[in-house]
Amino acid sequence: MDRNKGYIEKIVNLIMWFSASFILFVLGYLVYNSFRSKSDVMTNTLGKPSGLSLDNYIKLFVNERFEKYFFNSLLILIFAVVLLIFLSSFVAYGLGRYRFRGNKILRVFFLIGMMFPIQLGIVPIFLMIKGIGLIDSYASVILILGTAISMPVLMLTEFFSQLPDEVYEAATLDGAGEFRIFFSIMFPMAQPVVFSVCLINSVNIWNQFFIPLIFLQTDTKKTVPQLVVKFTGNLFTNMDSALSASVLSTVPILILFIIFSKKVLSGFMGGAVKG
Amino acid sequence: MLKNKKTYLFFIIPGLFFYALFVVYPIFSAAQISLFKWNGIGEKVFVGFQNYIELFTNPILLGQFGNALKNSLIIFIMTACFMIPLQIIYAYMIYSKTRGSKLLQSIIFSPQFISTPVIVFIFTLLLDSNIGAINNFFSKIGLNFLVKPWLGLPSIGIYIVWLMISWAGFGVGMMYFIAAMNMISTDSLESAYLDGAGFWKRLLLIVVPQIRNTIFNLILISYITAMTIFDYSYILGGVSGGVDGSVDVMSLFFYRIAFGDNNPLGGNLSENSMGMGTTIAVSLFFIIFIVAVFQMILVFRKDDING
Repeated sequence: MDRNKGYIEKIVNLIMWFSASFILFVLGYLVYNSFRSKSDVMTNTLGKPSGLSLDNYIKLFVNERFEKYFFNSLLILIFAVVLLIFLSSFVAYGLGRYRFRGNKILRVFFLIGMMFPIQLGIVPIFLMIKGIGLIDSYASVILILGTAISMPVLMLTEFFSQLPDEVYEAATLDGAGEFRIFFSIMFPMAQPVVFSVCLINSVNIWNQFFIPLIFLQTDTKKTVPQLVVKFTGNLFTNMDSALSASVLSTVPILILFIIFSKKVLSGFMGGAVKG
Repeated sequence: MLKNKKTYLFFIIPGLFFYALFVVYPIFSAAQISLFKWNGIGEKVFVGFQNYIELFTNPILLGQFGNALKNSLIIFIMTACFMIPLQIIYAYMIYSKTRGSKLLQSIIFSPQFISTPVIVFIFTLLLDSNIGAINNFFSKIGLNFLVKPWLGLPSIGIYIVWLMISWAGFGVGMMYFIAAMNMISTDSLESAYLDGAGFWKRLLLIVVPQIRNTIFNLILISYITAMTIFDYSYILGGVSGGVDGSVDVMSLFFYRIAFGDNNPLGGNLSENSMGMGTTIAVSLFFIIFIVAVFQMILVFRKDDING
């Protein structure tokens, strides 16, 4: 059934392909330039390249220790997401599974975080983190990003509330303890929602700029986005590293997205419907 | 094992503790700090609403506040007027399975995965006055009058910021609309096809009314985004927000007062960085809150009318 016969559909379709090609062109242009020498990019921008090489990448690892920043980002990502999932799935299970006085109020209480911008609380958080001596530590960033559980709690609570009672009863009949039921039956069942939550928050944490900017000051503790800004802040001397660092912090993720795009897009859809 | 009725507490308490400490307590603490004159280190002096009075009477502060608010509003209005309608059209095309819709959807969504510093850098590669591809292209084909320092023109700075935000964030809003369209009833669309309703008629009279709440939500989200966006302006224009604050936005204004001078460890060491910083943050919250409440009333009232 072809329902896109109208000429307006054809024009819009064309415009969409144009937008998509522009996105691909821009990314391709970035990757292409990353194989050129600094002077070539700067003085002979659109000319025929004098040669393509991996020099920019080699320099990034040998001189700039890119891997160090990559591991910083990875460390923050893993710990923050684990903390986030651990806290929010526990809370959501408590709220969705049990009936008790104050349940509704608590559900609303956990929504508060979505209504306030991070800027509002950041000064007190900063003073608190300074008070416990965690300024300039990975832990500060992990704690702040891993405790913003409003949206995960909302999505997971909805899931656990909608599970039919029979599922809970069957699980309880086995005689297993509450925590074992949670870990061996309930948490695995919530996997699609957990996947959605992980995905949306991972992207956000990996690309996070504001929080690391305020809390991480020692150069060796900084994250990949901060490193890219260090390079792009002075393009005259760092054009080569800016290019290779940008490609390495972007392209692997995009390749992963292309491979799993169906799953990833439906994961984002899950967040869109509930968030 | 006995079934303990209080088990739910064990599930809720860890999350409740951290969430209360790092998300809820700071909100109230910020409101309290805004009543003090304080730089985070020295003496903390209670001044009542003096910080608020100063923010709205001190010409320098008020000037920066007004400029940042104006720029944030420009971003919001441009998004609401141009980006959201385009997102709806694109979403409808993908929803009605236009040719290559799966691939288009993935490609248009992909910039979502690129971090802001890289996006700004990509636009620098395109728009920079010397090394930018666009200027080089114009001079190559002899259109020298079009060669301009695109990233350095104060008059268009904020529109460039908007362009970057749109390029990066287009796909997310589009996905929200697709998700909403997947839930509307297909009956009315079917009969519209049979009646031979054209593209615009189907989109505006049948689809848009049914995703109305999603549209309102997206408008609110883009308003909040415009008020809280920080990275682009900071990376493009530094702490000062560009030449004459041309790319300054609300969130950057807040950061500059609270943590400015490249010395986040102790604020900018002015006497009142923390007091005035939280005052701006609280004002920012009310600027968002008023619109959010207004929007909620609008959505609920419309729901009532439609039964």
